[in-house]
Amino acid sequence: MRFDYDVIVVGAGNAGLTAASRTAGAGLSTVLLEKNNLPGGFAASFVRGRFEFEASLHELCDVGTKEEPRSVRRLFSDLGADVDFINEKKLFRVIVKGEDGYDVTLLSGEKDFRRSFLSVCPDDEKSVDRLLRLLDETGRAIEYNDRKNGKPNKLYMVLKYPDFIRSASHSIDEMLIYLGFSDKARLLLETYWLYIGVPADEANSMHYLEMLRGYINGGAGIPPHRSYELSLSLADTILKKGGEIRYNTEVTEFIYKDGRAIGVKTEGDEYYAKEIISNIIPNNVLNMSGKHTREKDRKLLNARKLGMTFFCVFLGLDCGREELGIKDYTVFIAKNSSPRRQYEDEAGIYVVNCLNAAVPCATPGGTCSLVITIPVFDPDILSGVTPENYKKFKSDIAKKYISDFEAVSGIDVFSHIEEISVSTPVTNARYFGSPEGTAYGYEMSRWDNLMSRILNRENELDIEGLSFCGGHGPNGPGFGVTYISGVEAADAVIKRIKGVK
Amino acid sequence: MMKKRTPDLFDFLKMVPERIKKAENAPSDEIRHVSTYKANALAAALHPAVQHLTVSAVTPLSPDVKLYRLTPDKNAGTEKLAPFSAGEYISVTVKKDGCTYSRPYSIASSPLEAEYYYEIAVKRVKGGAVSPYIHDNWAVGTSVTASGPCGDFTYEPLRDAKTVVCAAGGVGITPFRSLARAVSEGSESFDLILLYCARKEEDILFKNEFDAMSRIKVVYVLSDEEKPGYEHGFAGAELIKKYAPAGEYSLFVCGPLAMYRFVGAATEKLGLRRKFVRLEAAGEKNDPKSEPDYTPADKESYTVKVIQNGTEKTVECGADETILRALERGGVSAPSRCRSGECGFCHCRLVSGKCYIPGSSDGRREADRIYGYIHPCATFPRSDLTVEVPDNPIGD
Repeated sequence: MRFDYDVIVVGAGNAGLTAASRTAGAGLSTVLLEKNNLPGGFAASFVRGRFEFEASLHELCDVGTKEEPRSVRRLFSDLGADVDFINEKKLFRVIVKGEDGYDVTLLSGEKDFRRSFLSVCPDDEKSVDRLLRLLDETGRAIEYNDRKNGKPNKLYMVLKYPDFIRSASHSIDEMLIYLGFSDKARLLLETYWLYIGVPADEANSMHYLEMLRGYINGGAGIPPHRSYELSLSLADTILKKGGEIRYNTEVTEFIYKDGRAIGVKTEGDEYYAKEIISNIIPNNVLNMSGKHTREKDRKLLNARKLGMTFFCVFLGLDCGREELGIKDYTVFIAKNSSPRRQYEDEAGIYVVNCLNAAVPCATPGGTCSLVITIPVFDPDILSGVTPENYKKFKSDIAKKYISDFEAVSGIDVFSHIEEISVSTPVTNARYFGSPEGTAYGYEMSRWDNLMSRILNRENELDIEGLSFCGGHGPNGPGFGVTYISGVEAADAVIKRIKGVK
Repeated sequence: MMKKRTPDLFDFLKMVPERIKKAENAPSDEIRHVSTYKANALAAALHPAVQHLTVSAVTPLSPDVKLYRLTPDKNAGTEKLAPFSAGEYISVTVKKDGCTYSRPYSIASSPLEAEYYYEIAVKRVKGGAVSPYIHDNWAVGTSVTASGPCGDFTYEPLRDAKTVVCAAGGVGITPFRSLARAVSEGSESFDLILLYCARKEEDILFKNEFDAMSRIKVVYVLSDEEKPGYEHGFAGAELIKKYAPAGEYSLFVCGPLAMYRFVGAATEKLGLRRKFVRLEAAGEKNDPKSEPDYTPADKESYTVKVIQNGTEKTVECGADETILRALERGGVSAPSRCRSGECGFCHCRLVSGKCYIPGSSDGRREADRIYGYIHPCATFPRSDLTVEVPDNPIGD
């Protein structure tokens, strides 16, 4: 059958959902095509026995409170989604093993962050105050940039926000050294590099500062019913605004006419629209575009490195959190304090989340859940894995990391495992179809970082009739930014279709 | 401490030129196809959406049970069967009189045999929509469509005890045939004690095979007759205690619905921790009246309006019949796999209307409850309904 719409959105990940909600809200006839039977992409959950596990979210930053909502709460309410968040006070706990190791917990909120930081790095008072001022400068600079619709006066920016401008073109390492931090303090602050996906000697510091500002000033938040709740709430807004969502509907081909993308094919059907928004990674779109690909797009994609992905070990334990002695929601466990070593060494760093510490009734009474997230930077980790030995491969990973966590924390996990499930890059490839199961789109390496993407966004992948949104886009991966990237893509489309200035 | 240096204020001007140069210097080759990446190739081999199979042998096991051997249908596009873990099932699709039905069948063959074939045992259920059709129509050469292997009724060394007591009832023996073979062949390593319950001696399937298997212990339990060499009664607390080891053990159960209730009471008596009790998906509830939270209906049947891929259809659904059954009978090709409320493959949106969902088989996510999504395989109508059903990826 043939269907006609104003807008087709391909993929109901975070960005696809917000994009479709936005275009439907603008009165454009919108269809959202999703190959799975649920919305959300990574923002999902799954049930095993009496446990419902969060599939990917640790926490959203820059959530704010009900009384003082920040960007995430504002975005959801602007789209008409009615969700609440539980605010998490702790920034993180990080345990670094070995002789020079440490075990530190940092708090969010400017005052609490400063106090908790100085209690372990008392000599870095001047530097931490400079950092807090820089976070403030970052906020003001971004506000100015937004006021100017992303086209600021560069000279004004340089004069008014010099350190912010410095951070745009330098690594986290370079900036923190410039602020005068001791090595210990710097490495401690760099723990969050993981959420950018490249180590702190390479990761863009503006990206980092904006994230840190979101965590320290904006506050972290967690939805009470897993991130799947956020996905369903957004899907609900699309339907309420008259948009349509087709599940189990996989796009197999993009249709072009005279260089313009005009539609997509699915099994048995064709959809045509004035504009197409793709939440799926450009690599896959080009795979499905036959001879309609351009040299400049192929070159850019061939230059890029795929972003990181994960192993996750999901554990339902038949014992309460307090009884087990688990105190924290988020614990980073690292072999070595250096982000570069954490990136290059196998098992260099991993994260353990106990959702019950943030959302007490996340599992039935007398039980709790633990999720171990292990970043994967090197796809060679799958070499030697065959369909036949895959189950053992998963079990071995689980065993290794549970054992390590037991040794570090002294907490008995093994004897309480009631449910266990392991996801791998193969799982991600299965559900999301991204190459090598990447969860983070493209690596935000030195040349392909947030700033370089944003500064050149107008000149890239601007295929007529087809725009992109999601973790592979200019804003990079992560929950908050992907929601925003969908809104941005939709607003550009609305402008083009309606011809409004 | 690292040497302090003031970062150059104007370095940002170099970023775009560097980016452009990097892309300029990259090859302009076609983008590598996603299916050629290792993770994606593994995903395709492990989790095919559809497997095209051919019946290659039919063996009657008893007057009402037949064993079907299924091999990959290369002509239809399945080169190789997906490997599976002992205890998993496939969902088989049957098309009859313009309607599409699915039924989950445990794979009864050993995981090593998946290199060549799967075997499933089908019991003829009187008045059933599918099993009599299979018995009467499937022969060597019949084409069959099935899902990839799925399910959680598998042995997990990090969770389960070193010894597993397996309680099987009737044709519920099938996953245990696979598990027993895996143990016997050495591809799984745990101690397996099988308590196999049947009505009469003649109802016992695979007896010669089990008797010949090494590394497992089998106890046959007959409910309807007393015979020397056989236990009499059901797999209750006493019998489990008699054969279970003194220390820790896991209990795996697969059988008719009544057996789960019976064994459930036994596990309480035995004081077994929940982590040591695994129940295979119990199948569709055909008699929800016996559920403790049963909610009576005010009518015998209701009208269900179905929206699927932009088209509308209406089907009738009995008050104590699952919505999935009504969809299938009404000619709607609806996705489904476990048919027990667990796997969520049939997930769909309840646009309007009231339902009864037994707590014992409500496998939905918390947010599904908030936003009105249901698993039609475990949901009964309590008013006229409108549901939005996604396309069936197995096809029509």
